[in-house]
Amino acid sequence: MVASYFRRAYSSFVTHILDVPARLLAFLFSILLLVIPLANPGLYIMFVLVLAAIFAIFAASWDILAGRTGQLSLGHALFFGIGGYTSAILYKYYMLPLWVTIPIGMLIAFLVAFFVGFPCLRVKGPYLSLVTLAFPLILISIFFMFKDVTGGEMGIYAPSILPIPPYTPYELRLAEFYVSMLLLIVSSIIIYKIASSKTGILFVSILDDELAAKASGINTTKYKLLAFAISALFASLAGGFYVHFLRTAGPSALVLTMSFFPVIMTILGGIGTIYGPLVGAYILTILDQYFLKTVVPIPDELHAAIYTAIVIVLVIAWPRGVGRWCVDKLEDMQEVREEEIEKKIKRKN
Amino acid sequence: MHLIEVENLTKRFGGLTAVDNVSFHVDEGEIVGLIGPNGAGKTTLFSLISGFLKPDSGTVKFKGESITGLEPHEIVNKGISRTFQVVRPFHHLPAIANVMVSCLSPRMKKKLEWLKSPERKALDMLESVGLTEMALEPAENLSHGDLKRLEIARALALEPDLLLLDEPFSGMNPIETDYLTKSIVRMHLDGHTMIIVEHKLQALMKLVRRVIVLHYGEKIAEGSPKEIAANKKVIEVYMGRVT
Repeated sequence: MVASYFRRAYSSFVTHILDVPARLLAFLFSILLLVIPLANPGLYIMFVLVLAAIFAIFAASWDILAGRTGQLSLGHALFFGIGGYTSAILYKYYMLPLWVTIPIGMLIAFLVAFFVGFPCLRVKGPYLSLVTLAFPLILISIFFMFKDVTGGEMGIYAPSILPIPPYTPYELRLAEFYVSMLLLIVSSIIIYKIASSKTGILFVSILDDELAAKASGINTTKYKLLAFAISALFASLAGGFYVHFLRTAGPSALVLTMSFFPVIMTILGGIGTIYGPLVGAYILTILDQYFLKTVVPIPDELHAAIYTAIVIVLVIAWPRGVGRWCVDKLEDMQEVREEEIEKKIKRKN
Repeated sequence: MHLIEVENLTKRFGGLTAVDNVSFHVDEGEIVGLIGPNGAGKTTLFSLISGFLKPDSGTVKFKGESITGLEPHEIVNKGISRTFQVVRPFHHLPAIANVMVSCLSPRMKKKLEWLKSPERKALDMLESVGLTEMALEPAENLSHGDLKRLEIARALALEPDLLLLDEPFSGMNPIETDYLTKSIVRMHLDGHTMIIVEHKLQALMKLVRRVIVLHYGEKIAEGSPKEIAANKKVIEVYMGRVT
């Protein structure tokens, strides 16, 4: 009874995960990440890995909007910042725990997405990008107007995820690491489910040809708004976790650079895929925060120049994305393997 | 009551009047041809009826109710669907998902409820145009003829009360033309009402009972194919003035 259950579980694992290259890659990747802390790599590497996981969620949220429906938003930091600031402000005034404040931040970002999305999505292409670009900057100036609430340039304090003190810094980091991995895996699965659902099909139809989607009777504005809102939901989740990880909600969560991060990461990893943004986020964060700081220490004034040069080379070398390139290779290999198996069967007969 | 009544429809682009005071009507079960030289305003007229363009004046009544100025998707959900002159598939989606988009519209959701899944309906539509084998193939891998058929499957999947076909025969070889002619006849026998814009008059005249001729946005003639072929004004427009 038990043995047969395990046999069935194993065979479904083989057909659903091992035989699909993209999923196999994701599976190995998450195992690797979950095992890394056992090797005790030190505080800093763990810091980089948590940061990468946060950016991976952020980039994946941008990909729902841009990679699926083709609406290139360049102001995604708006939702990242809203998620972060809401959580910190609620803590400051009401001392609420973060598992209450982060969801509230997500809810607010979701609602803001509808208000912002309505005027934004009326314009198309480069105009949409320009309009969205402005929103986080507007929010920064509003925050600077209310310095007592938002702390102005200094930002406000946000507590760490472990509220009661008796723990070592490494234990805290470890807890943060596992929570970030959990959030990343859960949100990737949800995003994957949305992308492969019927709504996901409608999203892609808007990307391919909005006019034809309208001619098929689809209210494209409604679905673009929905994509915008779903995307805001995950971006604010990433933002909320980010401020509690860095202990401050400051304007750095809303600056232009923060809006461009998910764009660069997604394009580097492969736009319009589930794994692409994650691959891009890990490559860029590790490159920026670890490789160019610890492995090959580069003076601070050259850091940005060399970092961007590497990014440009990577994007030129793999225009369709590093992640997509890997998966394509694996799929080619699998096809060759399947053909060989077919040949063998024919020979036997 | 006519199925669709177009009254004094006018559309101007700057100084150019693309559709000039055009009126006509189509009854249920009819196939009507819409012809005219290049730039006569046929596609503009289609776009006005299907809501992709807003008319400057005039009204379009469908089943007795005005649909002038509604959004394209609202008009589709009332039962008018169209195809495009140049095929507009969803490149990234497999053929079956292309058709499924239509099946997921509010109109079809209501119609299919409890009876059929959208997947089933999409597969049936692909079968009716002979594309079953291509169902899982991304649209970007399909040939032009296949895409034309996919476009028709997508429009038919909406179970429209009125179907607007914009140059369905363009870019088709004789075999495909023949196949499409047969399927249009079959659709007609199934009771579909259609307006067809077409340049290939030979293929068109076999199909329709009534033809409307546009020239520089104006309706210059209307009648049976025979009457149109003998109409002096129409010959003048197509061949030049006979002196």
